[in-house]
Amino acid sequence: MPPLLKILFMRLGLGVLTLLLVSVVVFAATQALPGDAAKAILGKDSADTERYEALRKQLRLDRPLVEQYASWLGGVVRGDLGKSLVGAGANVTDLIGKRVVNSAILVLFAALVSIPISILLGSLSAIWRDSKFDNVVNIANLSLASLPEFVIGIIMVLVFATAVFKWLPSVSNVNSLMPLSGQMTLFVLPVITLALAVVPYVSRMLRASTVEVLESEYVMMARLKGVSEPRVLWHHALPNAIVPTIQVIAINIAWLAGGIVTVEYLFTFPGVGAGLVDAVANRDMPVVQALVLLMAAIYVLLNLMADIVTILISPRLRTGLR
Amino acid sequence: MSDKGSGLQPGYLARNITRRDLLKGAAAVVVGATFGPVLGGCGSSGTTTTTTAGGVGAIKMGGHLRVAAGAGSAKEDLNIHGPALTTPSMAMRFNMYDSLLEFDQAGVLGMALAEMLEPNADGKQFTVRLKSDLVFHDGSAVNADAVVYSFKRILDPDNPGLAAKQLRGLTPNGIVKVDDLTVRFELEVANAIFPEALSAYSAGIVPVGYDPKAGDGAIGTGPFMLAAPGDFQPGIQAVFAKNPNYWRRDSGPYVDQLSIIEFADTTAQLNALLGGAADYCQMIAGAQRDIATGAGFTLLEAKTGSWIPFTMNCMAKPFDDVRVRQAFRLIVNRPEMIAQAADGLQWVGNDMYGPFDAGYPDLPQREQDLEKAKSLLKEAGQEDLSIKLTTSTSVSSGAPAAATVFAQQAKGAGVTVQVDEVNGDVFWGDEYLKYPFAMDNWGTRGYLAQAGFGSLPGAIYNETHFGETSEKYVSLVEEAFGTVDDAKRNELIGEAATLEHEEGGYIVYGFDMQVDAHAANVQGAEPDFSGLASAAGGSRYRLVSLA
Repeated sequence: MPPLLKILFMRLGLGVLTLLLVSVVVFAATQALPGDAAKAILGKDSADTERYEALRKQLRLDRPLVEQYASWLGGVVRGDLGKSLVGAGANVTDLIGKRVVNSAILVLFAALVSIPISILLGSLSAIWRDSKFDNVVNIANLSLASLPEFVIGIIMVLVFATAVFKWLPSVSNVNSLMPLSGQMTLFVLPVITLALAVVPYVSRMLRASTVEVLESEYVMMARLKGVSEPRVLWHHALPNAIVPTIQVIAINIAWLAGGIVTVEYLFTFPGVGAGLVDAVANRDMPVVQALVLLMAAIYVLLNLMADIVTILISPRLRTGLR
Repeated sequence: MSDKGSGLQPGYLARNITRRDLLKGAAAVVVGATFGPVLGGCGSSGTTTTTTAGGVGAIKMGGHLRVAAGAGSAKEDLNIHGPALTTPSMAMRFNMYDSLLEFDQAGVLGMALAEMLEPNADGKQFTVRLKSDLVFHDGSAVNADAVVYSFKRILDPDNPGLAAKQLRGLTPNGIVKVDDLTVRFELEVANAIFPEALSAYSAGIVPVGYDPKAGDGAIGTGPFMLAAPGDFQPGIQAVFAKNPNYWRRDSGPYVDQLSIIEFADTTAQLNALLGGAADYCQMIAGAQRDIATGAGFTLLEAKTGSWIPFTMNCMAKPFDDVRVRQAFRLIVNRPEMIAQAADGLQWVGNDMYGPFDAGYPDLPQREQDLEKAKSLLKEAGQEDLSIKLTTSTSVSSGAPAAATVFAQQAKGAGVTVQVDEVNGDVFWGDEYLKYPFAMDNWGTRGYLAQAGFGSLPGAIYNETHFGETSEKYVSLVEEAFGTVDDAKRNELIGEAATLEHEEGGYIVYGFDMQVDAHAANVQGAEPDFSGLASAAGGSRYRLVSLA
């Protein structure tokens, strides 16, 4: 078996183990919270003991905890994520399916916008370091990085949707029942907000590593040999400088997938973050588990991909495998 | 453009009723009928209005009304007989279903699907005749079978409906079909407010076999209906189409489509209105009023009977001593609390609920009196009292602020109050109904309905346990329940309310004002005394048109 494949399988195995541990922790955590789904659903009305007990029975919360967990896990192994405990008791897959698609599109757009911009800004700042351009980009990046994304979002809404201009929709309540093509404007403000949150980290990381590489001896060697400056940059410097940046990009995309709760909340975007907040509030264990496992799986997979790409593009690691 | 007095509501509603009539108890001129419509006691009118609809003929038909509603969740459903777990799902129900009777915007009880309601002399039998030729959304007939099915479903012992407790005295065997349009309710005990219970939104009339799953099977008689089950997306939105067979011939619905869009965040909700993604925004916060009017939107303000009391447990120390309860009520500076904790979005209360009940007594307004509070506490041996006050934003977004204001005011009487703010799941958890000192949130109700929910021993939400400490109070309320004569019953209600005012466990410092905001082209929205789901309570969006 090729060594790279071996690493891949080993890491995937560890990933599955991680997910299993996550599911135990999440289950334990939802149990540790006060009250249960029946109480969370009924709120004040759970004081009506008849109704509360009827609902508990209906949700099968009267079973022992281990049995509840085991039956859930058994379902997951068979590919059945179970049924939601609330509302009409829809299949979890149907319930979160649309949200996953919505969030995936949002993350994809945000990544497509922010990564090229970050690479461009980061490398240009490195080449023209200490120039006016570099200073402006630096100040902008530091200011943006110090603002939480919901503040950026509120400013975006004020400027582009409500108080100053009314160019773009202030809420992004994407309707899954309608074709996506007619709803593209709904994505603009959330995508810009997320991109403004991601770009500072990635571009600063890339600037730092590019500066380091540009000052290294092999770049000086290449220049002394008379290699053209663009070739030095694109063939010698950037491939090495981008290695640490790939990890940052991976972590940022994973953050986009799981940590965009506040942005979804702000724009009323029907994605996984908003769904998770609601599910936790309702103690809807099957939905919480499914969403958390999905986010954990994305973290595991993105980190794995980042490692593989790192190995493939950095000559030292690639040759070390042979 | 009001539907009051339209020829479609015969019986005792056909004549105009003035407030004076109501207070005299003279409104109930139906065949031997003697239940009093519940309406506006204090102040000049039950509701205030900031906009009025254009005259008939000015109404423009068609269009798509988009309503921004707060605090939705995936847990909501459209089962009319279960509790509406979120505000948006409550608004949806109001537009999809009807009950036999209903309160109008001013709080006057009248007929809805019923054409006539006839009580017998002892308040134990009520005969209801339906209007003829009514149909459900699916085209099937609204008949006695549907009424019998609806009430048996509400009283299902395995899954009791929200209205079950209000239909005091009714059992499944007591629901008798007389003919195709007539049903007789035979109660085991007298229940003078049975008609009020029939008007509850959770006593909606549904077709035989009704058992909705999400949007599937959510069929009623209301002005709006789901065109497809998938048009209801819990926690996200519902899109309704106009019901072409709506039974009120000349009062809506005027728009072709109604969307109720859900927001987890009130800022996003208002932004939807400001940015043009919504035409109407339900229940905005006090501080948002200026933003909305500044941007050219119109406010709709309703004076409601819903209240956020402090609850003192009369069975727990130190409140088992009536002097401590009296002292705490004298600690509150009500106007200051309303100004500081509610942005002025409340009107002053007098430690009694049911302000629109015809029996609500006209007692002198209680005011802050720290000296008297101190001396009462001294008499009770509680001079240096220190006590925990449990509150939560899930009681009401303004509850923690009110608790903090109370703690400050209490210092003036030498009482130390630690405000303990907890999450909703904790607040409504095992300690709820046991707290010595906490808060709660109640909607607009008549006095007896409210007492049945909160004050009688064995009531589901018995927070103050006052009934357990006062036999006199319980016998007054029980007697009122059995008294069909309006004047006599109102007298009993007045006595019971006065007793609670003097010795009870609630501090009712104020009642809510409910404020909606809408675009200038939205016409016909009227403020409602209940404030349920929106200031246009009952969210009667059938009356709204888009100019």
